[in-house]
Amino acid sequence: MDGIHDLGGREGFGPVDADEKEEAFHSDWEARAYALVRAMTKAPDWTLDRFRFTREQIEPSDYLTRPYYDQWIQSYAAMMIESGVASLEEIVSGHARNKPPDLGLPPQPDSVTRERRAAGVAFDRPYDGQFSFAAGQKVRTLSHVHRGHTRLPAYARGQRGVVVHVRGAFVFPDTSAQGIEEAKPLYTVAFDADDLWPGEGHAHLVHLDLWESYLEPA
Amino acid sequence: MADHKHGGHGSTGEVHRELHAHLPPDPALRVKAMESLLVEKGMIDPDTVDAWVEAYSEVIGPKCGARIVARAWTDPDFKAHLLENGTEAIKGMDGVGWAVAHLRVVENTDTTHNLVVCTLCSCYPHAILGPPPNWYKMAAYRSRAVRDPRGVLEEFGVTLPSGVDLQVWDSTSELRYLVLPQRPAGTEDWDEDRLASIVTRNSMIGTQRDLETGTNGA
Repeated sequence: MDGIHDLGGREGFGPVDADEKEEAFHSDWEARAYALVRAMTKAPDWTLDRFRFTREQIEPSDYLTRPYYDQWIQSYAAMMIESGVASLEEIVSGHARNKPPDLGLPPQPDSVTRERRAAGVAFDRPYDGQFSFAAGQKVRTLSHVHRGHTRLPAYARGQRGVVVHVRGAFVFPDTSAQGIEEAKPLYTVAFDADDLWPGEGHAHLVHLDLWESYLEPA
Repeated sequence: MADHKHGGHGSTGEVHRELHAHLPPDPALRVKAMESLLVEKGMIDPDTVDAWVEAYSEVIGPKCGARIVARAWTDPDFKAHLLENGTEAIKGMDGVGWAVAHLRVVENTDTTHNLVVCTLCSCYPHAILGPPPNWYKMAAYRSRAVRDPRGVLEEFGVTLPSGVDLQVWDSTSELRYLVLPQRPAGTEDWDEDRLASIVTRNSMIGTQRDLETGTNGA
């Protein structure tokens, strides 16, 4: 999706607020919003990529201006409505008219310690298919993907790069956003910034992790 | 993938517009209403929310990442393992907390500097650095870190010496990047705890290069 979220290389933004006070949360509501998302029951099809795709579809002006965790909450609200877990009226009022279909007991306080000690949620998967590319190989990225969720940013489309690492097979975000789990080879690909933005005098490399179907031999 | 249910030009955008039109502008009120609704829906236990707030306010944060860095500085075998397979290297490490499923550590040297960004959303190793700073999530950093990284570094007070290669890592997959900063001169006889105390959050993102010993190296 060619959305407002796809910010890499866009011009007109800046400078960065490098003097921001260093603290986990800047207000109580931020901490609450963050923890709500950690602690809530989630429907099985609310994958991380579904969540990302939902946020990508926030009104562009809201995306650029509303606080970040506010956008998390709005995105979960949207998924709740779309999944039939809550109505718009319930979200606005903060009161339930109906219980949702059985989603089980919500995560209990002891889940926090358990999750903190457990390994994070893994996205690599067993895979017996082919890996089409090897480290050192030149590749070209697709110039257009599709209108759904994708992790090939606009600035890196139709560009030549070099595979620097074969990462294994990982859940493919483009289909995961629709609740379909599919594993595809993932590669770290290096791009010369002077190729991405020619004539601007750049001398750095930009690395992206890209799935096999975004790539073709160069 | 133009025909799927949650298309970028379909219902989700409409749900967001409805939410925009009906929710109060104040994010604190939105979050409060969401928590109240989730409690009534049986989708959240407020004690679990409290436990997550406490964990992120007091336990999980840049101190976890700093411990990883300090160990890498003092234990060459650990460092080699960390650079080879960050996920495996930090498993079971005391005080690090909730592990990152796919950790990729990139090392700064006399001739290399690394900078981490997520241009498409805000991917960040929360489990070992805590919640990201606002600037990491906002358009100025996300748009410019790939195209004008030296300009961004200048805003953080970092001027890369000539002869230092700049490597930018755009977190487009579930791999999470952590920069291993250089150990400052004059800390040769410091123990791990003391070393960890000088490692900053920004140095592990790459927006700081030189760490301060605060003691003139003594």
